[in-house]
Amino acid sequence: MPGHRSYRWTELWLLLFPSLFLIVGLWTLLSVPLILSGSQDKVGTLPPLDSFTPALGLIAVLLLAHIALIIIAPDADQTILPIAGTLSSIGVLMALRLGPSLGDPSLGIRQLIWVIAGLVLCVLTVRFTRDLRWVRNYKYTWAAVGIALVAFTLVRARSFSTNAPSRDVLSIGPGGLSFQPSELLKICLVIFFAGYLSENREMLKEAHFQVWKFKLPPLKHLGPLLAMLGIALLIFVGVRELGLAILIFGLFLSMLYVASERPLYIVTSIALFVFGAFVAYHLFSYARERVGLVTNAFGQATGAGYQIVQGLVAFGTGGVLGTGFGLGHPCIVPACTTDFVASSFGEEFGFAGVLALIALFMLLVYRGMHVAVGARGSFNQLLAVGLTAVFGLQTLVILAGNLKLLPLTGVPLPFVAYGGSSVIANFIIIGLLLRLSQSTA
Amino acid sequence: MSDPYTFLLVLRVALVALLYLIVLQVVFVSRRDMRRAATMGTGVVTRAKPAIGYLIVVDSGATTLVPGSRIPIEPVTTIGRSPTSTIVLETNFISTEHARILYKGNTLWVEDMNSRNGTLVDQVKITQPVAVKPGSTLQVGDVRFKFAAP
Repeated sequence: MPGHRSYRWTELWLLLFPSLFLIVGLWTLLSVPLILSGSQDKVGTLPPLDSFTPALGLIAVLLLAHIALIIIAPDADQTILPIAGTLSSIGVLMALRLGPSLGDPSLGIRQLIWVIAGLVLCVLTVRFTRDLRWVRNYKYTWAAVGIALVAFTLVRARSFSTNAPSRDVLSIGPGGLSFQPSELLKICLVIFFAGYLSENREMLKEAHFQVWKFKLPPLKHLGPLLAMLGIALLIFVGVRELGLAILIFGLFLSMLYVASERPLYIVTSIALFVFGAFVAYHLFSYARERVGLVTNAFGQATGAGYQIVQGLVAFGTGGVLGTGFGLGHPCIVPACTTDFVASSFGEEFGFAGVLALIALFMLLVYRGMHVAVGARGSFNQLLAVGLTAVFGLQTLVILAGNLKLLPLTGVPLPFVAYGGSSVIANFIIIGLLLRLSQSTA
Repeated sequence: MSDPYTFLLVLRVALVALLYLIVLQVVFVSRRDMRRAATMGTGVVTRAKPAIGYLIVVDSGATTLVPGSRIPIEPVTTIGRSPTSTIVLETNFISTEHARILYKGNTLWVEDMNSRNGTLVDQVKITQPVAVKPGSTLQVGDVRFKFAAP
């Protein structure tokens, strides 16, 4: 509404809750060691203010991001920042809590710094994508950057032992500041898909050729489909990153379906995927091992299945209300801050907490789709769909992996899992979604 | 606090309760947004001055039009890539002056302006002015409209 300035009161109100969550969570975390060490008389009293620094720092940065949005994007969606803020508050609290258990007390502060850097980048993204056309016009550049990132990871992967855990293979850079190119690859690919699909939308919708009673996509459109499946398989075989492969292929499928409005493509692609998976299962022992861990985890509970079994035990230990924040032993599970952060959360917050966490991710996806529905032009709509699908697919793949419903893959749970590049990439996506919702209002 | 365990239990319950509060608040905001969108849709119609009719965007093609939006028809409505057109459509499939809609004798007429890709009324390519009524479809390039009564 021109002439009427929005001060984003809804967003401010919603930011109150993650702020309270941070303070209560940190207070719990400070009280637990007092009880365990026997100085129980100190428990009810307020701890010194400076021990709340991490929580207050994050609250301050969230409020600064809120003020920045009032200035640069007053009409953007007001629920997205609070949802992302809540999820990253959970992430920071989990890192603060799990760091000492791993003998790494600075873990929480490092995660906090990543979240702050992410929020800054989020605001910068909103500021510098005011005209989304430049993002669109350079779509082949984005694709090239994406391919360069894949090639780089492939080369790096070759120089590593192929038995290394998938997560480490993809990290580059010096020790503490490892950076995973695959995180930025997702954003590049979404932009490229959105550009490609919005240009070829009409053809994808109309054209088909008929074999007996079945309408099939024309052969020239099967090309990109097969290429995407090929890239996904290449990542799976070359880097052994099953999660990234599923994510890229799932992303392409969701965007293709939205662009073409035809289930035909999905059926064809899933058939191709099943065929590819079948071939991979018989060709590569690595694939068989992964599937074997789902079908028979408890049979190898002390060996290869140790992690997944301990993760399930952690979920079970939590029960309905959890052991209490800071009162469980989540770090018995290997990778309790990254791949298995969901089981750490499940142990201490219980079924109730996990349900709330899933609800938060569902709301994030819902608001993302809401932005997509209101966006102008097919490029913007497809971009919003793709960016939202990144969150949805990642959450689905890693939670299903943790719960032994799918083969476990090294995909980070958005905002919650420890990891700098993941947090930063996710906040860039949040920035793009905010920009897309601003230009529709 | 006398009992530290009670205090800790309160904190534990508050922590999970806060997560649910956030979820509930976001749901409330979403519901309010939906209601507002519903009432805004009717507001636009009553505020608009009486028009001859509307074009409803069915398929925006490669343009930035919003599918479902209503464009009022004027006595002479020109469609094309040229910035002087009444309805400016910036895609390659559309000629500079593509088509026009005329209001003559209580009837709407669609006329093709020798566009390169042609104008389709009810999916038939037109060569001379054609009378249209509410419900007819109009396709210029990759953009599709439907005519609606005022």
